Parts: sequence; C-alpha cells; structure tokens
Amino acid sequence: MPSPRRRLAAALLLLALGAPALAGDLILTGAKPDKLYVIDAAKRTVLHEYRIPGANGLVGSLVPSPDGKRVYAVINRMESIVGVDLATGATVFRADLSTPTERVKDFFALTVTPDGRELIAYEVPTRLKPSEYEVEQPRFAVFRTDAGLKAQPVRVYPAQRRMHMLLMRPSGKSFYALGFELYEYDVKTGRLLGTRGIQHWEMPGHSQPDLLAFWPVTEPTGVFTSPVYAEAPQDGKPTPTTALMSLDVATGALDYRDFEPMSALIFSTVLSPDRRSAYGVYSTLTKIDVPGRKLAGRVPLDHTFYSVNVATDGREIYMGGAMCDVGFYDAATLEKKAILKLPGCADQALASLRVLAAH
Amino acid sequence: MPIRSVPLLLALLVLAPAAPAAAATESGAALVRTWCSGCHRERAPGQFERISDIRKTPEGWVMTLFRMRQVHHLALPDEVHDALVRHLADTQGLAPAEAAPGRFALERRPNVQDLDLGPELGVMCGRCHSLARVALQRRDADEWLKHMHFHMGQFPSLEYQASGRDRPWWEIASTKLPAELAALYPLATPAWRDWQARAKPELAGRWVVVGHVPGGRDFYGTAEIRRDAAGEYRAQYALTEVGGGALAGESHAIVYTGFEWRGRGTLGGHATREIYAASEDGRRLTGRWFDPEHSEEGGDFTALRADAPAEVLAVLPQALKVGTGAHVVVVGTGLAGAAAPSFGDGARAVVARREANVLEADVTVAADAAPGNRVVSAGAASGRLVVYRQIDALEVRPAYGIARVGGGRIAPVTAQFEAIGATRLPGGELVSLGPVAAEWRAEPFDEEAKRTADVDFAGRLEANGRYRPAGAGPNPKREFSGNNVGNLAIVARARDAGDALEGRGHLVVTVQRWNTPPIY
Ligand code: HEC
Ligand code: HEC
Repeated sequence: MPSPRRRLAAALLLLALGAPALAGDLILTGAKPDKLYVIDAAKRTVLHEYRIPGANGLVGSLVPSPDGKRVYAVINRMESIVGVDLATGATVFRADLSTPTERVKDFFALTVTPDGRELIAYEVPTRLKPSEYEVEQPRFAVFRTDAGLKAQPVRVYPAQRRMHMLLMRPSGKSFYALGFELYEYDVKTGRLLGTRGIQHWEMPGHSQPDLLAFWPVTEPTGVFTSPVYAEAPQDGKPTPTTALMSLDVATGALDYRDFEPMSALIFSTVLSPDRRSAYGVYSTLTKIDVPGRKLAGRVPLDHTFYSVNVATDGREIYMGGAMCDVGFYDAATLEKKAILKLPGCADQALASLRVLAAH
Repeated sequence: MPIRSVPLLLALLVLAPAAPAAAATESGAALVRTWCSGCHRERAPGQFERISDIRKTPEGWVMTLFRMRQVHHLALPDEVHDALVRHLADTQGLAPAEAAPGRFALERRPNVQDLDLGPELGVMCGRCHSLARVALQRRDADEWLKHMHFHMGQFPSLEYQASGRDRPWWEIASTKLPAELAALYPLATPAWRDWQARAKPELAGRWVVVGHVPGGRDFYGTAEIRRDAAGEYRAQYALTEVGGGALAGESHAIVYTGFEWRGRGTLGGHATREIYAASEDGRRLTGRWFDPEHSEEGGDFTALRADAPAEVLAVLPQALKVGTGAHVVVVGTGLAGAAAPSFGDGARAVVARREANVLEADVTVAADAAPGNRVVSAGAASGRLVVYRQIDALEVRPAYGIARVGGGRIAPVTAQFEAIGATRLPGGELVSLGPVAAEWRAEPFDEEAKRTADVDFAGRLEANGRYRPAGAGPNPKREFSGNNVGNLAIVARARDAGDALEGRGHLVVTVQRWNTPPIY
C-alpha cells in the first residue's frame, strides 16, 4: 500500500496541467474534522498535515500571526480558538470560550495585533439557566497570545450583534468589524470609533445590500474585498446587481462598485497585487476589472469553491473551501493549472485559504 | 473535551432514583415533579416554571419532550413520556376552535398554503418552519420572549442566514414580537376555559364513514368504535371502495384534550396513522389518515355517528353528465324511509340497495336535462348532485406542489395532483364537479428548466396524476453533476372535454428533508 504522500504525488503528476508559479508561497487551509494543512504552492504538495486536538469537526477562519509562525483558528463548534505552531503543529494557544453556564460562539471573527501579542475574538454568548436560555450582548474578548492553553481574556468590551469578521489595522490601535455596518473599535478601550455603511451604504437607487463574509483575506495588498449583492436600477427597473466592496485596512478607504448585473453567485473575492483585478469563486471563477468596473472573465469550475486567494506575485489564483480540492488557476487566462487533493479527501468547509509569502 | 452543562448534571442527579414502572401510575403533576422539576422549579404547588405557562397540541408536547431528551439529556422512559404527553395535552392543550386554523399541519397535509400572519411574521418565523407551528401554541408575552431567547441561543447562526441578516432579527424578535404573538395567541382564552369546563364527548358507538384519497379513490362504510380495558379507543372499519372491493381496517386510538383522536392502525393491510378531531358535540370525526412512512400519501376522513340526525355525507360521484348513467352511492344518516329517493329533475333512479346509512341507485340523466345543481333526497336527509353538459374549466390542485428526490434512508416524497372540473351554468355561474378523469403530462416550467432537461431527470408522472421523483445525489449526466431536481408544469387534459381544455399546476422537485418533525 503506497503512503498517502506517494499517492498524492502520483495524483498530482496526473493533474498538474501547467508549470507552477515561482512565488514560493505557503498556503494554509483547514479541513474537517480537525486538520490543518500547510501547502507548498509552487510544488503543489502538502508540506504538513497537522491534527488539532479537540477541534471537534471544525477548523475555520484561519488567521496567521504577523510573523507567520503561527496560525489561529476557530474550532470546536465555534466555541474555542487555538493557535498552532506552523513548524511543529503543536497547539500553543487555546481559549475555550464556553463555560458550564454560558455557551459562547465566535462567528469566525478574530484578529491579531501587529505585534502578535494580543488576539481579539468576537463572542456571541448565551446564558444557560436551568430551564431557559438567555441571550446576552455580544462582546469582544482580548487574549494575550502567550497565555497558553487555558487562555482567559484580559479585557472584554461590548460589541454589536451579527459581526462576521474582524480586520486589524496596521497601526495596531484599532480594528475593523464587519456586521450590519462597518465598525471601527479601539483595541485598548473597546470604544466604538466610527460606523460606516454596509446596510446603510450610499449607493443612489440601490436597495439594502447583502454582504456576508467569513474569509478574512487581506493578503497580498492589505485590502479586504467582498462581493455585495443589491438591486440597482438598470434601464429604470431594479435589477439584482453584484458589486465589489473593498476596504483598505491601512488607509481606511472604503469603496463599492457595481460590476455586473448578477449572473453568478460569488462567495469570496481577492484583490491582485497590482490592484487592477479581483478574483471571485463559487461555481465559477470570476475575474473583475476593478478600475473598469466590469466583468473581465468567467470560467466554470469543477464544483463549488468557497475561498479564494492569489499568489504573492499575482500569477496564480488559489482556491479552496468545500470538499478536498485546492485549485491552482492561471491569473491571466483563468485556465486550470493543477488540482491538489488533500489527503483522505478532507472537507475544507468554510475554512479560509490563507497565503504566507516566501518562506 | 466537550463542556458538560449544568442542566445535564442536574438531570443526572434528578433522574437517577426514579423507578420507571412506578412512575407510570403517578398522577400527571407528580410525574412532572419527578421528571422535570430538577430543572423546572415548582414555584407553587403544581406550578412548574416554563411548563405551566404554555399550551400546545399533543404533537407540540411531543416535540418539546423530544428536545428535553435530545438537547437537555433527560432520560425519560417511553411510558412516562406517553403519560406526560397525555397529562400535558389534557390539562394544557388547545380548544377545538384554537387548533382549527393549524389543523392542516397536524394532519400533515402536503402542499397546502401556510397561514398568512402578515409579511413580518412570514419572514421572521415562516422561513424555517410553518407558521402553523406558531399558531398551535399559546403563551403570554414573557413566555413568547423566553422562546425567542431559546431560538437565538439554540440557533445562533439564525441572524447570519439569508432572511435573518437582512434585518435586526433578534431586536425585532425580542422587543416587538412577544406582545404581538401574545395578542394573537395568548395563554388564557375564553375558548380554552369553556372547553375545559365541558363534559368531553364519548366516541364509542357506530359511525358512518366516507374517505377520499386524492388521485381518484373514494371509500364509504362504517366504523365500530369501542373502549378497551384501558379506556382507550378501538375502531373496526368495514369499507367499500367506489368501483372496487371491500376494505377492512382497524385502529387503536388515544383521544387527547377530549377531542384530538390519534390512531395507529391498518387499512387494507397497510399501516396507517390517523389524525382526527371530534366535533364539540361528539357527532362527527374529521381529519386525515396517512402512511406512517409517507405522510404525503393518505386520505381525507369524515365520520358521522350512525344515530346522528339525518344528513348526507357524500354523493359519489358528485356530478353526472346529461345523457349518461352511473351507479351512484349516497352515504349518510337517516337515508331509509317509505318515500322513493329523488335525484332531482331529469334524473331517473333505480334503487339497488337502501339502508339507513347507504343508498345505491342506478341513475340516468336525460339528454335534455337542464344543467345545474340537484337536490338528492332520501329519507329525511338531503344532499347535492351536479348535472352538467360539458366541462368548461379545469383546475390542477395543488396549484403549487413540492416533491422530493429520494435516496439512502430517505424515501422520495411524491406529489399527487388532481384535476378539478367545473361547468358553467346558463346564468354564467361556475359550478365545481369535483375531481374529474384526466390525461397528465409534465413540461418544463420555464426556459431554464427546458435547457437543463428537468422533465427527463426529475422523475415521472403516473397516469393518475401522481409524480414520482427520481433518486437523489449528483447525477453525472447533468450540468455540474447536479441533483435530480426540477421545475415543472403539470398539465391535465380532461378526458371528457375538448382537446383545448387544459389545467396547469406547478411542481418543484427538490432535495430531501433530513428531519420529519410532527409539525413542519
Ligand atoms: C436537564 C434539565 C431539564 C429537564 C430535566 C427538563 N427540562 Fe425542560 N427545559 C430545559 C431547558 C434548559 C429549557 C430552555 C431551553 C429550551 O427551550 O430547550 C427547557 C424548556 C422547556 C420548555 C419550554 C419550551 C418552549 O416551548 O419554549 C418546556 C415546555 C419544557 N422544558 C418542558 C419540560 C418537561 C415537561 C420536562 C419533564 C418531562 C422537562 N422540560 C425537563 C431543561 C430541562
Ligand atoms: C432559523 C430557523 C427558525 C426561525 C427563523 C424560527 N424558528 Fe421556530 N423553530 C425552529 C426550530 C429548528 C424549531 C424546533 C426546535 C426543537 O424542538 O428542537 C422551532 C420550534 C418552534 C416552536 C415550537 C417549539 C416547541 O418546543 O414547542 C415554536 C412555537 C416556534 N418555533 C416559534 C417561532 C417563532 C414565533 C418564530 C419567529 C419569531 C420562529 N419560530 C422562527 C427554527 C426557527
């Protein structure tokens, strides 16, 4: 019986349809029930397959530490957060959010300060009383990343409901939180510094937009992007339209631009290093001409992918999420170059696909 | 390491000493005290937190106890479970009038329109389950609020889902809705007070029965209902299928809340479940029976006490064409008598059988008989028959149906369509003829369904209007290896009408449902 690694290599030989890019990227992805993968993008190989004890069926929302040595993930029915050492696979940080009398979920929203010292988690708590549940106000819990395996928050402050993503600003003074609107909070005090429109955006004639993203991808540009759906006037009548939202976490620049009457569903997007193109995936791979505000290309995919990313040099598109394929596509032609099957065909579900530049 | 909840620990503490055999003989309140009060404090004698503040149907109580077992790890023996459902449904149930609007859900009627509680409740509550599930409960505002806390706490992804994230779901559910729901469905009502005070009807005796199975089968006959040693009901059915043979059946039923008949039995050798309601005067039982594995397959049931005042339950068939003849069966009470029965102007009857509960006659309608309604009279009872010249309109029912692909341990869900004919009287009035014989075909509902060849993949339509969906799972022959879902028009052409007369319904063939709660 050949080893999984061997079989994988053989499968890759069959699947590698083009020459790999030379970016030297590492790709991180998670999979059911407790797997974390580190992938060599150029070689199309799994460098490490780590098991996260107690992941309990979920490894989601991967957030690398700024030094690229660890990755944080939401696990265990969204009730725990772990930090895993990328060189050894050891769990070096763990915060179990729930207690016997309070069930706490983190809806995939967490972020780490630029110095790597603090991790902020979004907590949605429910008090479990003997004969009833009590919904409590969501909150941010700040942990020290050196707190070990029984981490307790060092600061806690109230938050809005229905957040789904946190994005640290490079200053380390504040972070963005995406929910009904785009909020900005002070890291130290938890003070709400500002609110800008998502549901209350200001696009003339547009209906209330719909944005939900669990993939906190800002690499390689420092700009977070996401598809947004709304009805926009087209020849005088409201037409479902897809826009690209982009948020530069450094400058704070927030932009929405329609690029097509909705013709395909897109789950996640990523911005190319030159910021001229964005790529989106679901059942198709979409290329968006950002300055031109238009659809630049679309090809069908073999099946649905949830999470997209791009090579640091911009030459390849990486995709994962849902099922066990990690796809490599040519960024210029949108041609399939390779499919890497994760060992044992582990299902990546909602895990975000993250890229660490040159190792 | 999963976190053990306090409720679980409490359950272990509370439940360990109880002896199940003894429990079944305890009174209802004592059962609640033994099995529930570890978590649901007895705040006053016989008053238990949460439990005493809600009224529900027997199915509602079953769903709650399912959750107490499944989610809160209550180790409840089956016989205690059954005794508790009885106790709770009897003492905290819904009055007949309160349960009436949501009965279709208890009866598991397929393809019926849900209740309309306005646009806000429709989206806030109707996107996950029927609004009947809501309408079949009674609580005051603070108890509705507690239930909203349960929803948000148990299904925290609710506010992230489509139609949950477009609005501040929790804020609406926790501020505005509890009072609104309590105004619609309050705990204390005159209807419940009156029903509790009433003597409950005794259902033992002889009954006249009619049944209709969509797709063209009608039954009539009798039921003998008696009480067994345990005080529960046993029914024996002796039925005849119109145009067919005899059909025997039996069932064992518990009557909850004084009128909610829940039976398990067989009919013609097939297992059945019966969800019937006794009328407040105890003279009538109505509802639906169905196949326990396929709740979409079943029939409408009506029974009338054989000694009830004279009444026609059914005239089968209910419409006759001019210039034709048919064997007509009239079912009801008080049909015997000295005077000859009448089928109205232009109809000649030769009586073949006449008893108090059945009249069979060969009826011929003159070619020049005037189309219109006829009064059928037999003994002291009278019913209705329609004489028609032609079918002028055809309606497919349901107008919108859902079938589900099957596979693995989940059986496919079929959809039964009926063609309902109508004739136009000289005055212009349209009169229904009931279900009429039709030829059936499936067509793509729209251009997209045509492009993806849904008609070829989704299943097949049988001669009697029943749609049998295909197997589930990715189909390599379909685009993106799609499932065998489909969007179809179901077209009926009346056999007895010109080619031009068609009726159309809409069928969506969709994916499986993974759970089958007693109230959708
Ligand atoms: C181990 C603790 C525990 C036990 C034992 C328990 N329950 Fe509960 N029950 C709960 C909790 C917790 C809730 C609130 C969350 C929920 O609704 O599921 C609840 C809620 C309820 C509700 C309100 C549900 C609604 O519709 O909003 C009812 C009614 C109820 N229980 C009935 C019972 C009955 C009857 C028993 C005994 C047979 C029982 N429970 C035993 C823990 C328990
Ligand atoms: C996200 C889906 C969802 C939405 C939205 C939702 N429900 Fe439910 N509801 C459920 C589920 C699932 C259950 C079954 C819970 C169980 O017993 O495990 C349920 C059960 C119920 C029950 C029966 C509970 C019992 O124990 O008897 C009622 C009543 C109810 N819901 C009312 C509402 C109302 C009112 C709303 C709107 C304010 C609503 N629901 C919105 C999912 C939903």
